[in-house]
Amino acid sequence: MADPIISARALFKSFPSGDRRIEVLRGVDLDVSAGESVSIRGESGSGKSTLLNLFAALDAPDSGEIVWDGSATLAPRRRGALIGIVFQSFYLVPELDARANVLMPSRIAGKVDRESRARADALLAKVGLAERLHHLPNQLSGGERQRVALARALMNRPKLILADEPTGNLDEHTGEAVMELLLGLCAETSTALVLVTHNAVHAARTSRRVRLHDGRFVAVE
Amino acid sequence: MPWYLYLALKQLFPSGKRFPFFTAISVLSVALGVALLVLVLGVMGGFGAQIRRMIVDTQGDVQVRSSSFIEHPHKVLAEIEKVPGVAAATPFAEGVVMIENENKPAYPSIEGIDVNRIEKVIPLRKYIRAGSLDDLDDDSTILSYELADSIGAHLGSRIEVYTPLILEKLKRDEIVLPRVLKVVGILEIGHQQLDSSVMICTLRTMQDLYGLGNAVHGINIRLKPGVDADAAAARLNASFSADSGLRAKSWYEINKDFLWVLQLEKNMMLFIMLFVVLVAAFLTMSLLLVLVLKKTREIGLFAALGAERREVALCFCLQGVAVGVVGTAVGMVLGFTLLHFRNDAVELLTRFTGSKQVLERFYQFNQLPAHSDPRDIVIIILSAMLLSTLAGLVPALIASRMKPVDALRSE
Ligand SMILES: Nc1ncnc2c1ncn2[C@@H]1O[C@H](COP(=O)(O)OP(=O)(O)O)[C@@H](O)[C@H]1O
Ligand SMILES: [Mg+2]
Repeated sequence: MADPIISARALFKSFPSGDRRIEVLRGVDLDVSAGESVSIRGESGSGKSTLLNLFAALDAPDSGEIVWDGSATLAPRRRGALIGIVFQSFYLVPELDARANVLMPSRIAGKVDRESRARADALLAKVGLAERLHHLPNQLSGGERQRVALARALMNRPKLILADEPTGNLDEHTGEAVMELLLGLCAETSTALVLVTHNAVHAARTSRRVRLHDGRFVAVE
Repeated sequence: MPWYLYLALKQLFPSGKRFPFFTAISVLSVALGVALLVLVLGVMGGFGAQIRRMIVDTQGDVQVRSSSFIEHPHKVLAEIEKVPGVAAATPFAEGVVMIENENKPAYPSIEGIDVNRIEKVIPLRKYIRAGSLDDLDDDSTILSYELADSIGAHLGSRIEVYTPLILEKLKRDEIVLPRVLKVVGILEIGHQQLDSSVMICTLRTMQDLYGLGNAVHGINIRLKPGVDADAAAARLNASFSADSGLRAKSWYEINKDFLWVLQLEKNMMLFIMLFVVLVAAFLTMSLLLVLVLKKTREIGLFAALGAERREVALCFCLQGVAVGVVGTAVGMVLGFTLLHFRNDAVELLTRFTGSKQVLERFYQFNQLPAHSDPRDIVIIILSAMLLSTLAGLVPALIASRMKPVDALRSE
């Protein structure tokens, strides 16, 4: 098997709660390789988002280690290059139109040129928004916004997509379409995917399924 | 363009919105503060500049006086004119007299001038409002216009002049008649105090009135353009022999205390007015703070997209800077425009309140002068920019201290 894109060992994470600490993660291990897709399910508050934050190096574990594509640290710029993130509530920049939002990761990486613009347009076309390039987020529906966010996550050709309940704010039908796109695009570009979802049907479509319970992964099926 | 600058500009001037309300208010607050500073300091500076010009116009660049009288003015004049930097010199004799016209008395200062030399030193002609300097002879006088008004004199009037010498003669029981002078000119300098209390006659007449013989009280000197008055005064003093009793002082030295007060007054005004800009900066800061709170989740987003913390901070700080730059520019334009139309504004105001005379009386000027010192402008620009940057810095620090996870979690 190829080297994993992300490899987590014995992750522990707790948060202060009053004068005690609640242990959210108690020894999580996970390896995700290129082209693989992993779904994580679990009750609300079981620590799924916490785990994704650790994977994105937006937060640090109390103990345990994570190796990202062969390196034990992940500086901001490299995060932007290696990982694309899709949030439950889209997080588009309201002042920017769809195309500028998709271009954002590229802009932060410091390369906006003809080629990246063309790529942004192509990605938007792929998610079915070719006609919406210059719409502001508030002129788009929820499903359309999440598709813009999807295009944005793919902009820098990441090796890994972290998606935290990407359909959580969408109705069933729209969510279905977004999920179709997400899984399709990841498969097409052999981008690894870690998908947090409540939806068993969506989870069933990933190559591997785990469940977070009591701070640990338990296998399903 | 780095992304944080791009985003800072985009947040200030969003693509879709035609009128960014938030930006307009911040820019306007800075602009009004700056405009006010430009206007107030411009007018203050105008008063200062006008007073300085008037001093130099009426006293020359350098004045030479003696410990008693200058007995042989022509010898001294020849000596002075040899000193490098001196363009021209003119003698004067001065005093106070009582004058009377149609039983109305006044007690003006009188100055005897050398009509052949005066114009090389003092641009008297440009202040003559009626009559002519050319008509001034030993039997005539030029009155400042408020003085003429107060005794009901006009061109052609014959006024009686009494001097201290007449008092001396009265004490010795001599019969004396006042000297009669014909008014041949009316003077308007534009300074209320001078305009109400100055009369001019020839040096000969003044020497007669005061019994001076050939002596004069002092010599006014005009320097060649660009010559430093203090340095020229020093050179003059070096050229005088020790027992001559002569001493040269630059206009600056003569009026040092007065000029210092003027400068102090202006600096105080600048200092006080800076608080206006400070208030504007606080407004900008609070608006930016609101923005940061509104944007909290985006702060987390940018981190997720690969941004460094200091770049996120810069993004907010630059918004303060941008508001400062635009606000200062708009304020400058506004301030100088107001300055340009200041007299129309005053005209309008005094017409409504009917207070033009009062203004002239108490402020000594009938036109609002303006002069913007480049130093003041630089201070205004720098402080407006500095305060706006600081206004952006506070929200920027808050943004940069926020952990991306916490920012993303906030709803
Ligand atoms: N920054 C934090 N401070 C305190 N408690 C936190 C913080 N982040 C998460 N938690 C707690 O950790 C638990 C797991 O949260 P989360 O990872 O968001 O759950 P999930 O995404 O599975 O619903 C929750 O009980 C939550 O209250
Ligand atoms: Mg969650």
